[in-house]
Amino acid sequence: MNIELEFITSDVLEEHDGEHKMDFILDKIKENKILVVEGSLSSTEEAKLIEATMRSITDKFTGIEVSTLRDKTETGIKDRIIKLLGGKTGGLTVIGPSKLIKQIKKEPQRISVLAEKKQ
Amino acid sequence: MAFGSKLFGWFKGIFGRKKLIRLGLYGAPNAGKTTLANKISMDWTGEPVGVVSEVPHETREVQKKERVVVKVGKKKIIMNLLDMPGISTKIDFEEFLQYGFTADNAKQRAKEATKGVIEAIKWLENVDTALVVMDSTRDPYTQVNITIIGNLEARNIPIIIVANKIDLPESNTKWIEEAFPQHPIVKISGLTGSNIEDLYNSIAKHSK
Repeated sequence: MNIELEFITSDVLEEHDGEHKMDFILDKIKENKILVVEGSLSSTEEAKLIEATMRSITDKFTGIEVSTLRDKTETGIKDRIIKLLGGKTGGLTVIGPSKLIKQIKKEPQRISVLAEKKQ
Repeated sequence: MAFGSKLFGWFKGIFGRKKLIRLGLYGAPNAGKTTLANKISMDWTGEPVGVVSEVPHETREVQKKERVVVKVGKKKIIMNLLDMPGISTKIDFEEFLQYGFTADNAKQRAKEATKGVIEAIKWLENVDTALVVMDSTRDPYTQVNITIIGNLEARNIPIIIVANKIDLPESNTKWIEEAFPQHPIVKISGLTGSNIEDLYNSIAKHSK
């Protein structure tokens, strides 16, 4: 009854753009991994991830649980400028398969995840 | 030419004020969006928008009621009411089996529900004002609510948060006020119509 967590730096994610970033995330999730990603997804990326997830749903893959912590000091414009200049923004994103994550509880500065693998 | 332009401006001044707004109802499944859309539509047109059900993802396509005329004081708002499918990050056909669906029907329903979620997300770009409907008996600080609000904010679309289901004893609207202090919040029951006038006032005040 093992549960695999994978920690990914923001550099790895930034190597993929647009749809490829979502495919990269979903491919990992379909391998039954819980990803902890350095950095936060933007609201637009979150919506794209949900769209990509919906397109991937089958009888066996039922979707994801996702939660993002954003750096308190980030603003939309500031965040974009930092990214344009090649800098890193703060925050953290946890994403996992919905079959594995029983509960994901989010607070402004904390995420707790309860995972359970069915036998 | 100058006269024509002035005449156009005059007509626009008179008739342009009654602009048609596209009012989108967003939220997670079972937040009470269709119940609320029906309440608004029944109040002003006498006709419902859609079917309400305890089964999640009952609304799997955007349901529209066009040219609903809402009167608030001296102000008249003409709107297209858009009841969106609930947005979710997961859809498991097995969940529908609990409601008595056959496996084939449950799978079909799940497939339609995934398309509904995608459609609701695509419509985020095509509403003028959004009601983000939340079930006040549940924790509102979910990624779905945050994603919906974040996307609307990024597009500068006015948001009114609807703390729904205040008729239920376990309703806790303070959760919602604490989670989303940056937007106007209206506490209502779409089912009983309690405080619905507050919602109409808020739409008149905040919509564009």
